[in-house]
Amino acid sequence: MANRSLPLMPIVLLALLLLAACATMQGVWRAPAQHPEELGPGRPTCTECHPARDEQLPYERFDHSTFFMDNHTVAAHQGEQVCRMCHATSFCNDCHATRVELKPSDRHKTETYRRMPHRGDYLTRHRIDGRIDPMSCFRCHGNPKTSRSCAPCHP
Amino acid sequence: MGRWPSFPPQACWLCFFLLLAGPALAGAAEYRLVSDTLLRGFETNVGGDEDLVLPLYQYLQADVGTPGEPPLTFHLYGWGRVELAGSDHFERTFAGGDDTAGELLYGYLEYVSPEVPLTARLGRQYVFEGVARESIDGLRLDAGLSPWFSLCAYGGWPVGLDATDGRSGDSIYGGRFTHHRRGLYEVGLSYKNVDNDSRQAEELLGLDFSLLLPAGISFFGYSTYNLESSGWAEDYYELRLAFDRLQLRPFFQRFDYDDYFATGANTGRPFRFLAGTGETVNVFGTDLLWLQSEVWEWGLKAKHYDYDERDNTAQFLSALLTWSAEEGRSQAGGELGWMNGDSAENEYLLSRLFVYWDLPQTPLLDFATADLVYVWYDETIHGDDDSFFLTLGGGTRLLQDRLELKVAADYSSDPYFDDDLRGWLLATYVFSR
Repeated sequence: MANRSLPLMPIVLLALLLLAACATMQGVWRAPAQHPEELGPGRPTCTECHPARDEQLPYERFDHSTFFMDNHTVAAHQGEQVCRMCHATSFCNDCHATRVELKPSDRHKTETYRRMPHRGDYLTRHRIDGRIDPMSCFRCHGNPKTSRSCAPCHP
Repeated sequence: MGRWPSFPPQACWLCFFLLLAGPALAGAAEYRLVSDTLLRGFETNVGGDEDLVLPLYQYLQADVGTPGEPPLTFHLYGWGRVELAGSDHFERTFAGGDDTAGELLYGYLEYVSPEVPLTARLGRQYVFEGVARESIDGLRLDAGLSPWFSLCAYGGWPVGLDATDGRSGDSIYGGRFTHHRRGLYEVGLSYKNVDNDSRQAEELLGLDFSLLLPAGISFFGYSTYNLESSGWAEDYYELRLAFDRLQLRPFFQRFDYDDYFATGANTGRPFRFLAGTGETVNVFGTDLLWLQSEVWEWGLKAKHYDYDERDNTAQFLSALLTWSAEEGRSQAGGELGWMNGDSAENEYLLSRLFVYWDLPQTPLLDFATADLVYVWYDETIHGDDDSFFLTLGGGTRLLQDRLELKVAADYSSDPYFDDDLRGWLLATYVFSR
């Protein structure tokens, strides 16, 4: 593994290049900063008001149906701008965070309608899930800081 | 002579931002503060000693300025915790734990250009782009280069490594370059490099795509290549098919443990041993969703795990039913799941029932909730073969919905806790102008 230092120069150059490129760009579509209308309570279904797809967005992809929590990875990574219209990053940080102590279902105990990982007695269940699917543990508990809750038993 | 207090890096960041952005933000017309004060209460019994644990958590979210208008906004979110009963629970539960804890999860200035498609964020922030799922202290730029190309670039210090021998020599940088024809397809190429103490901790290259085909068919996927170990870490492909009210999502995943878990400093210690096992797992399955009406949703989930090295398989099957009220937030539902590993120690049957009920006409209570999870294990764990968990809760909204009070109580009986009772109280206050 080679020794490295923070490559500030390429980052600054890239930033300047971007700024220069953007200075000339007009008329490129981008998602609004906020959803234009306040959404009602409950899980939103985008296609109730929007077509399944249009020239800008595949709205069907962001319908919050039963399995959306399980399968939002690709949609969020490719369409973070869309998530941002309704969710502050704090919403994502209930699960995706460098350091949180409370599991999501303890942080939002009364939001029983949301599919959340680790509901109920997960301490016991994680022994089995961890053997079968350690990949899913790693996504949220993978780095040295997020794995601190694992360390007392898994040093 | 007294000592100067030592400020955590996040406090220095905040002071720096506020000095920098103060004049611009002072004119901001809007701000919003959300305060969550959460008190939990439970007992622990370790080695015969009973301890009361009363952690008090404070979460604070602040947003100054309306996103995109004016162009400069400030966003902050963090939490702190103090253990009121003086127990040593947190010292035992978390590595390096203490009776107080806290974390600034993000605190950044955002500039959204009103004229050109450019967004810049400076400060502590999360980056969800391609192979990056990282918290960084640094700069992130997101720009639309033309109707067909976009670029996101970021650089700074990785927050996840600040406890690993300090921050000297730590760095993170990367980005995602995208070619897209909106409404038809998108292809992204992403890169991430993380250094810890001037030594490489992680280097990943990613390719992701989405393809919107006719007849409501979509094809998504990504592949991640670990440049440090020179191998494909993960592949994921999913197809989405919609037939009127029926949705099908077959998918395939492949993981190579040696390249996925890796051994660099950015991998948590509990996972590093997996990197040496040479294991490869193929996972395939499908979700099936039937939107019977606006009220009823039926779901089926099936997953099959196939391990090369262990030479065995596992399956997870689950059925779900959800009812949602036509008006309001009331919902109820249930799930029945079965994890079927090759050996009895890897088998369980899971059942869950939940209710969230709006009570608009009821004094003192605006909603009531219940959640029941019962799991049966094929092989006993610490002498028990099941887990029972029940939580009952409720809440009320006051001061024109600016204040929300919620209360809940848990009961559980499982291999680790006999007849365990826990209390939970949350006060959420929203202050905005």
